Amino acid sequence: MKKEAWFGISIMALVVIGVFWMMPPLSQWTNGHLGLLMLAMIVIAIMLGFPTAFTLMGMGSMFAFFAYYSDNPNTAVVHTFDLVSQRAFAVMNNDVLISIPLFVFMGYLVERANLIGRLFKSLHLATSRIPGSLAVATVITCAIFATATGIIGACVTLMGLLAFPAMLKAGYSTRLSAGVVTAGGTLGILIPPSVLLILYGATAGVSVVQLYAGAFLPGFMLTGLYLGYIIISAKLKPSIAPPLSEEDQRVDLPKFAEVISKKSNNVMVGLIGAIKGQRNADVPMKTLVNHMIIAILPALAAALIVLVVYLWTTAPSLVDTSGLQVMGDAATEITEDSTDTGSLQEPEGAGGLAEPSAELGQAAQVVPAAPEAPQPPAEVKPATPAAPEAPPRHAPPLVFWITFGIVAAGVILFYAIFDFVRLEVFKMLLGSFFPLALIILGVLGTIVVGLATPTEAAAMGSFGGFVLAAAYKQLNFTVVKESVFLTAKTSAMVCWLFIGSSIFAAAFALLGGQEIINTWVKSMDMTPTQFMLLAQAIIFLLGWPLEWTEIIVIFMPIFIPLLAHFGIDPLFFGLLVALNLQTAFLSPPVAMAAFYLKGVAPPHVTLNQIFIGMLPFMAIQMLAIFLLYMFPQIGLWVPGLVYKG
Amino acid sequence: MQKLLLTIDKISTYAGQAFSWLIVSLTFLITYEVFTRYAMDAPHAWAFDIMLQMYGTLFMMAGAYTLSKNGMVRGDVLYGFFPQRVQAALDLTLYILFFLPGVAALCWAGYYYAGDSWRILEHSGITAEGPPIYHFKTIIPVAGAFILVQGFVEVVRCILCLKDGKWPSRIQDVEEVDVEKLKATVHVTDEDIAKLDEYVTHGKGGDK
Repeated sequence: MKKEAWFGISIMALVVIGVFWMMPPLSQWTNGHLGLLMLAMIVIAIMLGFPTAFTLMGMGSMFAFFAYYSDNPNTAVVHTFDLVSQRAFAVMNNDVLISIPLFVFMGYLVERANLIGRLFKSLHLATSRIPGSLAVATVITCAIFATATGIIGACVTLMGLLAFPAMLKAGYSTRLSAGVVTAGGTLGILIPPSVLLILYGATAGVSVVQLYAGAFLPGFMLTGLYLGYIIISAKLKPSIAPPLSEEDQRVDLPKFAEVISKKSNNVMVGLIGAIKGQRNADVPMKTLVNHMIIAILPALAAALIVLVVYLWTTAPSLVDTSGLQVMGDAATEITEDSTDTGSLQEPEGAGGLAEPSAELGQAAQVVPAAPEAPQPPAEVKPATPAAPEAPPRHAPPLVFWITFGIVAAGVILFYAIFDFVRLEVFKMLLGSFFPLALIILGVLGTIVVGLATPTEAAAMGSFGGFVLAAAYKQLNFTVVKESVFLTAKTSAMVCWLFIGSSIFAAAFALLGGQEIINTWVKSMDMTPTQFMLLAQAIIFLLGWPLEWTEIIVIFMPIFIPLLAHFGIDPLFFGLLVALNLQTAFLSPPVAMAAFYLKGVAPPHVTLNQIFIGMLPFMAIQMLAIFLLYMFPQIGLWVPGLVYKG
Repeated sequence: MQKLLLTIDKISTYAGQAFSWLIVSLTFLITYEVFTRYAMDAPHAWAFDIMLQMYGTLFMMAGAYTLSKNGMVRGDVLYGFFPQRVQAALDLTLYILFFLPGVAALCWAGYYYAGDSWRILEHSGITAEGPPIYHFKTIIPVAGAFILVQGFVEVVRCILCLKDGKWPSRIQDVEEVDVEKLKATVHVTDEDIAKLDEYVTHGKGGDK
């Protein structure tokens, strides 16, 4: 046997000795001690590698029988059977877990739409001027793709095949490249819609909606910290991430764009000039108009954001569905209207609702300077309240004007630098980045705003996955069949585990193991901070030998009842646990991400190099946990905002 | 013997795969329900129960299938390092110690549980005048029986492995991370990867 095996066995032996050393003499054993013994046994049995679901089920039903037997030998069998079947049926009837197969299915479908290559290419072109651009693009690609699919292994493998070679060829250091791919690939664990949060919600009885709302900012914060680290280290030490060569940054322009860009490199000036004048007979009008429509999309999006903020900040005190309905209507109106003006190409005459976008576009081409900025606000005021409205609205608060100023300045700046190369990149993003972002935001948005339950949103997401795969011509019977089978296997794995663990947890509670732990922890007289640190440290350590599913379903039920005693919000605790368990994916020697990458890396990239590359990112994760702990508002702000009551 | 094992594998697989398709109908049912509720303002009272029954049936019946493909999550700290004979011995012990009693209890308990439900022709209590659920409860013993039979197959596999020193083969199935397939989708070949080595060993940005 290898030395790793001996190492593991000796750890197990230590656990056994430790348990027996802590236990009172055999004669003083109570049922509670039997429960503790059960807990120790389960850790050992899991480490031995037997399918965890059945270990839990078998051990749980046996110990439940003991517990009932010590109570009343005659009814023990009946009670045990009742317990087992009721627990199984509860999982089958669980309206939280039902989202798991749906989200998993959505993930497989989105993965098969095969967007990752395009996504990476367009993002790397879009970020090509930033230091460490390839690494930045990798992290963003991973964040989006892993979030939409939730399949860590596939994400790391695919990025190992696409981004890793690109970075090595561009002269990036092996360590940085490996670290970026592995760290980015594991982001999907935390950023919703993630299965981990559903499982935690089902175990801890915390609303999945709130968990999703809460995990959003920490996820973004972590991504932002990664990006910050990459950019700063690329700036300080260009040798580990040299800037891209001119050739790598080149974007081939289509023919018509080359013609027009000779006149003016700015998209708006160039396109309007080309459409108005008759000078470019060789460029079909349709191409021009199509590109014009694409070019004004950002302005439309900006107008939409302003509109939403306006409606939200000025909403009559009661936010109800009718308000949302109006918002949707107004949005469609504005889109239709502005598309019209877009094709008409009469910026001066563009009236009504499309005012802001056309106005901004115009402002940008005439004088791309700040003095224009205060002008548009005057225009938008009569434009927005056009939506039919019964109750009187509040006057727009300062927040609205600040948002408006920022968005307007952003749009002006954007159009000022919007040249034909950027238009090409934008078109590529439109074909890869935005569909995925839209699916994620659509699913999350409806959940968080409260329009749909997680289950409904997940089903809509799966449906969106179908549409996405069809749109990219990847939808065929084999793809659907494979996604269906994989979904069944993954769901069966998670849900059977849940059956096992709920039988186990019931037995543990019956034996009174929980009470022993509770009194023991309370007798230690810890402050909430100490308890939190201890709990997170235990979870972190468990993350080495165990999978996150096992940690959530077996150990969370032990921690959750203690939270109330220390006055810790289970929602906040869940967010910390999610961040913590994500770290486990990156902590050697069992970091799964590293092994996935090793599987597709060139032979001379050693596991040690990958591990060393992951360390800075692991440190960043620790920093993120620390930040979240110090400033709980990062996680609790959004749920508090959405659920004021 | 191997032939019998593979036949049972196949039965588990077909049964599991047949029920897997419920995910598609689940997706469309909920999408339809969302549409009728929000767009046409005509929700169906039965929809919630039917969704749960589809989901429950789906994962319960896929259990034996997942087991037959070795897809149940294992703690893989040590297991992978053991020689195959040791793996088989451990598995065999634990199958007899935990799996058989646990799953047998589930089958047996489920049998009585479903029987009670049939006797009173139980209907769901989640919504008023809910749909019947006795057939849904029957899934527990049925799925349990499938898993139990598959468990016996796994026990025989362990014994065969103890005898031969290596695991008997299984039928191939789709895998979540199929490296070869992923390579094909992004058009990367093994030579491409091998070629990259020069950047690693002589690259200007290498770790020295």
